Amino acid sequence: MNNIKAIDDYLFGNIAPGDSLLFEAKILLSTALNDDVQLQKDTHAVITQYGRQSIKAEVLAVQKKLSTEPQHSNFMQRIVNLFKK
Amino acid sequence: MNSKTLSTAEMREAFFIELYKKAFPAVARYIAKMGGSFEQAQDIFQDALLVYYEKVVAANADVVVNEKAYLLGVAKNLWLQHYKMDSKNQSLDNMDIEETTDQQPVSGKLMHYLATTGKKCMELLKACYYDTLPLSDVVSLFNYSGTHSATVAKYKCLEKVRETVKQQSLSYADFIE
Repeated sequence: MNNIKAIDDYLFGNIAPGDSLLFEAKILLSTALNDDVQLQKDTHAVITQYGRQSIKAEVLAVQKKLSTEPQHSNFMQRIVNLFKK
Repeated sequence: MNSKTLSTAEMREAFFIELYKKAFPAVARYIAKMGGSFEQAQDIFQDALLVYYEKVVAANADVVVNEKAYLLGVAKNLWLQHYKMDSKNQSLDNMDIEETTDQQPVSGKLMHYLATTGKKCMELLKACYYDTLPLSDVVSLFNYSGTHSATVAKYKCLEKVRETVKQQSLSYADFIE
């Protein structure tokens, strides 16, 4: 699987400090490896953003539930009332 | 609360409902006092919950003793950051929310592509890297035969998404807005 796991182990600190230093040396010596490490960092940023969008959607669904379901109506109404002048 | 108890959408829903009941009234009271609207209070609280969720699933999740106080603190900082221009004069205490904004936003185009054609992979990667679920939870959530096959699937998906990001990055400005 190419260098995917090795780069992940390096990025997440799952290797011994000595091996990490060795990996950094390899990055310095290889443009291709350096590019792959950067690409994998970008990929993890994409995963994080996907995760945030997903959790935000779940939070919005909860908010909608609290606003619309009868058993929660008193709770939300009390909060809405805080904003009435 | 740890990531193990938040491994399914149902568990997270119960978790968020509990936090709404526990902390949203105090946050809303603060936003109202500051002259904000109900909609702004909702927006702020959504973001505060996201910040808290990421803290909870991180390895050091147990440091938050008082969830209500934590969420109120985050909400106050978010309010000052987003809606008040004079926030420069505020104390920097408890300003640990920057950790969620250290990455470049990805374009809707790439995200839409990944969320449709690669949804199964993105869900697996989210569970492993964002939700930081234990591999045993990943195995049962995604019906793998064992931890080995889950690990192989994780790296195959990471490779696939990395390749997609690479293709997109050939025109880098296209996906970093």
